[in-house]
Amino acid sequence: MGRYFFNLRYGTDPGRIAIDPEGSVLPDAAAARAYALQAARDLIRRGRSDAVRDWFACAFDIVDAAGRPVLTVPFSETIPDAAEE
Amino acid sequence: MDHTAQRDTRNQLLRAMRAEDFATLRPHLRHAELPLGEPLIRSHQPVEDLYFLDSGVASITAEASQGRAEVGMTGREGMVGAVPVLLGSDRVASACFVQIAGAAWRIPAAALSAATEASPSLHRLLLRYVQTELVQARHTAYVNATFTLETRLARWLLMCHDRTDGDDLPLKHECLSMMLGVQRSGVTLALQNLKGGGGIRGRRGRVQILDRERLRLVANASYGAAEAEYARLIGGA
Repeated sequence: MGRYFFNLRYGTDPGRIAIDPEGSVLPDAAAARAYALQAARDLIRRGRSDAVRDWFACAFDIVDAAGRPVLTVPFSETIPDAAEE
Repeated sequence: MDHTAQRDTRNQLLRAMRAEDFATLRPHLRHAELPLGEPLIRSHQPVEDLYFLDSGVASITAEASQGRAEVGMTGREGMVGAVPVLLGSDRVASACFVQIAGAAWRIPAAALSAATEASPSLHRLLLRYVQTELVQARHTAYVNATFTLETRLARWLLMCHDRTDGDDLPLKHECLSMMLGVQRSGVTLALQNLKGGGGIRGRRGRVQILDRERLRLVANASYGAAEAEYARLIGGA
């Protein structure tokens, strides 16, 4: 188990990142990825924001409790590839 | 509550009622601390006590298998438990819990029912309060269907600010996430945008209101209609 922080990158400008101050405790990086995809789906569906024109251009930069990058999950990955369907 | 006079309470309903009605209720009122997270009403369970809030904020939530979201907010302007008891039932489908710690005057449902049956003026006042809850819930439905996260968050913070003292609100992103019915990152993003506009400042687990007028600009038409109806129906106290 570890605490993972889901920093939301919502534009190419370096300032356009919303730092997650609280994080979530999850078993491993795979669980963090699944959490990020679920969060992304939720935001795409319900997260109308003044600051985000296109949720599919956004990504989660996941970092661990030490601030080390774990992985990046683009919101576009919420849509399965055509080959998988 | 034997030594507490009507003017000493901070609850606006207790203050707004006629002195005779307050005198009828007074022997039944007991001081209750409201710790953070305390459930005041459980969904589909009999309501045994009602609460006139003096301080703190209670959140009314709708629950489903997918989770829960806030559908109403009550503070010192109101009471918890009015909807089922005043409308002749003993339970509701929604739940209610303490969102910001505070204190209340607790009264058994049977005592309140007896008092409203005996006093048309008390009954009328509390029914008008029930109407304000309905107005707020309908307006919340409109706001959730219409406005962006930033606007909804601004409205929610204003509503919280109205019900608390000072400018510092103890609110974690996790709880705001449930309040707005959106994933936590959506709250973080909306908070960041409100901070950028200068309306608030955020520290870990707290939101500080810096500029209420700026928040009102962001909240726009989402805020004010339900509050105006409260003023019309109950008054300013």
